[in-house]
Amino acid sequence: MRRFKVGDRVTVLDKPTLFHTRTQSYCRGRTGVIVALRPDDWVIPEDEAWGRVDGRRLPCYMIRFQQGDLWPDYRGPATDTVELEIFENWLEPAKEAAQ
Amino acid sequence: MSDDHDHLPDVEDTPNDFEILEIAIRELSIAKGYFSAEDHRRFMEWAESISPAAGARMVARAWVDPEYKKRVLADGTAAAQEIGIDMTAPTGQGTPSDYIYLVVHENTPKVHNVIVCTLCSCYPRWVLGMEPAWYKSFNYRRRMVRWPRQVLAEFGTIIPDDVEVRVHDSNQKTRYMVLPMRPAGTEGWTEEQLAAIVTRDTMIGVAVPRVDSLVGQRP
Repeated sequence: MRRFKVGDRVTVLDKPTLFHTRTQSYCRGRTGVIVALRPDDWVIPEDEAWGRVDGRRLPCYMIRFQQGDLWPDYRGPATDTVELEIFENWLEPAKEAAQ
Repeated sequence: MSDDHDHLPDVEDTPNDFEILEIAIRELSIAKGYFSAEDHRRFMEWAESISPAAGARMVARAWVDPEYKKRVLADGTAAAQEIGIDMTAPTGQGTPSDYIYLVVHENTPKVHNVIVCTLCSCYPRWVLGMEPAWYKSFNYRRRMVRWPRQVLAEFGTIIPDDVEVRVHDSNQKTRYMVLPMRPAGTEGWTEEQLAAIVTRDTMIGVAVPRVDSLVGQRP
């Protein structure tokens, strides 16, 4: 079961991390929109990094962030974006939507 | 005195921790018989011989065949297979560092795509070959997600303000390639002629194809 769908606005959790996560710090706590779903569930990096190829599998999403939401001092056009793939265990519904 | 000029120190860079780890694991694997030293040498020889020609063929075909273009954008892995590039070899899933899921992003008059890997060096090696050294540099990786227009300008690529710059950070499994826009002045060109202007950098997204800029051509 996928928790999110294309078009959903999501916020990346800012969890404490010890090891490999592939969830880049520059997107943590930031909100973006899901633009694509990956076809299969993949083993999350937290397990795969330890060679656990049969580790936990979760849905993965491609998320588009506005540059201005990542870098408050971004000076390019407001339409510029960055896309990252984030696993479901790092996402929650956008905080702005919950308010 | 005949030897009064300065010499640069005659030493190579010291291997870093990851290089030492790679050597240790490789030598252990060879000692345990998982693969031979000759297997490793042949694999590296093959991996380093892959050129961006495969990507250029995909782009050129997509420019002349709208149906193929749809398939490229829908499933890059399958579209690569159509031109004889099997990303699933040898394990069915590629290798852990070269995963099989290829997504091709199309440049349009409104969107310019560019790829980077802020983690280290994820790159679509199956279709573009080994990444250039600058692609792995901290300079490129740190700045491309932060100041993309300035970095593109350093490559001579000025993107107008009414075009969205969309940076693709290859932070997980997926590998990305850019499908650049077909330049004016190429009307009636054959697929082969078109492939000759699709250079590596145009598929990374730091440059755009030009009719006077040919693959393999040196200034």
